[in-house]
Amino acid sequence: MAIETFYDVMRRQGISRRSFLKFCSLTATSLGLSPAFVPKIAWAMENKPRTPVLWMHGLECTCCSESFIRSGHPLAKDVILSMISLDYDDTLMASAGHQAEACLQETIEKHKGNYILAVEGNPPLNEDGMYCIVGGKPFVEKLRYAAAHAKHVIAWGACASWGCVQAARPNPTRATPIHKVITDKPVIKVPGCPPIAEVMTGVITYMLTFGHPPALDRQGRPKMFYGQRIHDKCYRRAHFDAGEFVESWDDRAAREGYCLYKMGCKGPTTYNACSTVRWNGDTSFPIQSGHGCLGCSEDGFWDKGSFYDRLTRVNGFGIDANADQIGGIAAGGVGAAAVAHAAVTAVIRARHKPHQPKQDEHHGDKSE
Amino acid sequence: MARQIVGPFNRVEGDLEVQLDVGDGQVDAAWVNSPLYRGFEQILLGKIPGDALVYAPRVCGICSVSQSVAAAFALGDAYRAETPPNGILALDLIHAAENLIDHLTHFYLFFMPDFARPEYAAQPWHADIHARFRAVEGSAAPEFLQARTAFMHLMGLLAGKWPHSLAIQPGGCTRAVSARERLHLGNVVGAFRRFLEQRVFAAPLDEIVALDSRDALQHWQAAQAGQPGDLARFLALGEALGLHTLGRAADRFMSFGAYREADGAPLFARGVWRDGSLHSLDVDGIAEDVSHSWMAGDTAPPRTARTLPDPGREGAYTWCKAPRLHGKAVEVGALARQLVDGHPLICDLVAATGGNVLTRVVARLLESARILLAMQRWTDALVPGEPFHNPAAPLADAEGIGLTEAARGSLGHWLRIEGGRIRNYQIVSPTTWNFSPRDAAGQPGALEQALTGTPVDSPRHPRKIAVQHVVRSFDPCMVCTAH
Repeated sequence: MAIETFYDVMRRQGISRRSFLKFCSLTATSLGLSPAFVPKIAWAMENKPRTPVLWMHGLECTCCSESFIRSGHPLAKDVILSMISLDYDDTLMASAGHQAEACLQETIEKHKGNYILAVEGNPPLNEDGMYCIVGGKPFVEKLRYAAAHAKHVIAWGACASWGCVQAARPNPTRATPIHKVITDKPVIKVPGCPPIAEVMTGVITYMLTFGHPPALDRQGRPKMFYGQRIHDKCYRRAHFDAGEFVESWDDRAAREGYCLYKMGCKGPTTYNACSTVRWNGDTSFPIQSGHGCLGCSEDGFWDKGSFYDRLTRVNGFGIDANADQIGGIAAGGVGAAAVAHAAVTAVIRARHKPHQPKQDEHHGDKSE
Repeated sequence: MARQIVGPFNRVEGDLEVQLDVGDGQVDAAWVNSPLYRGFEQILLGKIPGDALVYAPRVCGICSVSQSVAAAFALGDAYRAETPPNGILALDLIHAAENLIDHLTHFYLFFMPDFARPEYAAQPWHADIHARFRAVEGSAAPEFLQARTAFMHLMGLLAGKWPHSLAIQPGGCTRAVSARERLHLGNVVGAFRRFLEQRVFAAPLDEIVALDSRDALQHWQAAQAGQPGDLARFLALGEALGLHTLGRAADRFMSFGAYREADGAPLFARGVWRDGSLHSLDVDGIAEDVSHSWMAGDTAPPRTARTLPDPGREGAYTWCKAPRLHGKAVEVGALARQLVDGHPLICDLVAATGGNVLTRVVARLLESARILLAMQRWTDALVPGEPFHNPAAPLADAEGIGLTEAARGSLGHWLRIEGGRIRNYQIVSPTTWNFSPRDAAGQPGALEQALTGTPVDSPRHPRKIAVQHVVRSFDPCMVCTAH
């Protein structure tokens, strides 16, 4: 029997050639690849056998699935679902109960060493895994078994990547990031609470198309989406640089779009694509709703003091130095660092006249 | 008599297992197990109160806004926050959008696919239902997902992102809406109304909300023949499979009431429906029993209760606590809300056949129509330029209660602040009521009651499929249940 390709699956679902090519071109764009990659993606989709994807759920809240199925791009309604086909997915699949468990077993047996394991949530290790029992067994056993035979492992979201809020002090269940359980192969981390839908579909499309994971940073995150800070591309950045800050929700400054740093925004230390890819079909992201960034894609974001405390250390100029170091301005108290950073930015701007950089170019596309 | 386990359940949120005692072709007794626990109420202790706005929503990625609203209400209650009219409307819109989308996600992605299963292959209606509703691949799933994605742009516009939006605060919303954005909101809501009117109902929403009796519903359904909407399809199925005979619990219903109109009155009323009539709700009558939960301690009201896991507890079989109202198990959800609010169609259906699989689903779809109409009203009532948020000063010592309705039913947060820190935080969520275990008096929870008497292998409902319908008719959300 000929092995099915992604394109076969799409055709079976009645997707036209035109839609397929549009999908390939949108995919290339979303992955930051040049138009020259479009035929490569198309070729891979037409010729490579479809990679099965197992999507497992441990200790979590299902927000990653919710984010994923809401992907507005590219053509999520037909393509993404048919593409990964969700060979096994607790939340969406057809079969139920023991039949579903048998389906999981069968997929693992049939595609040993050749499937992608996507994990949403993590295993709690206290009480021998008793806090998350699936099919009569601790989730950690199911995870170990499925990971042992996987070609690649993806950690969806902050739970799988870092532990997330359920691992917050005192971490009563000992919720544990999956890379501490799966130690014999790299775990591709796609953090965020949840990750952006387009980032999830982008990562998985890249892997399905090219057969290998995209380039990762030291923490295991795809550089193409986690190479820049929210702050680097924030549309309120000019107000940060000008020292113009919101002091209270929905105050005059908030409506003018001033910077939310004093309200606890963690944009300056958070690597994610929110300020570029944005959310809910490119409509917005948290900062645009007048609320600061939580830093939900960063390890340990939940145990770094209150979410509404302002940062005391702001990396302002690329990633190699922070505002306190540059310019040597004393930045003792809470909040002083931002003021210092803003002042220094102004100095640098003045120095660079007359070709004052546009806000977006300020830190270049330094993706690492 | 044989003991059987059904589960792990899929197409529900989180993990779920049901144990059945089966005798003579039907369920004699059921035990519902939520096998997942994370410990939010333990984690919240000692935190800065405002941080509850970040932690609590993460109890559930499906109804995170409902959790946000309950947390904001609890903090607002503690700090005596006053919310300006725009703030009320913005919170209503964000909250209603989530609840509405939850109802339809349940219908299209979780509930209806069971009727496309091979167990029903011989039925005359199966080909049509299979083509439309089979999991992931039926014609309805992509259509709905596309409409859903477009509708959720509203969450982007008002709340920055979804799930786990952040804009909801005590005293209102961090997001002020401009005149241009209000127009955009109107378009988004209007586009979803078209999906409801073309696909879900194949009828104007006003016609749906005006249905006032079982007869009226039957006439309406008969008149839909030809190109029926999905509600009519479901009603036909309901008749063929006798869904009104499945899944009846004790017919005691509770609603905390939801959404606020501009005049301050709730859109859906608060109250209790029992013994065939409506009563006012005494919130102080709520207590959580832990006699059959893997929890230490005794029965306590949420104001003073603690959450202390005890996996070794004798006689326990779930992480879920057993909330009771004056010692009685109650059912919550869209059916309870519409009944307590006195919608004539739902009152008539319940008078005829009680709460069951059919009435739960009809109530959910009826409520979707009512919510959409309210959302259009609220969008028009926003006044750009006026405040969306009033600040409230945090207090070092305070108590607050936040009561609201998630799609699946009544949700309450009880908060106590001492010395500027959270001293106690208790969350009682909808599925905790519906899927609670037995209590000290041996009284089963709503689903456990509803499963008793369910046929396990009848010609009409082979291979325990009726059990699946009953369980899913509650739209279970297990991550909320034990949290």
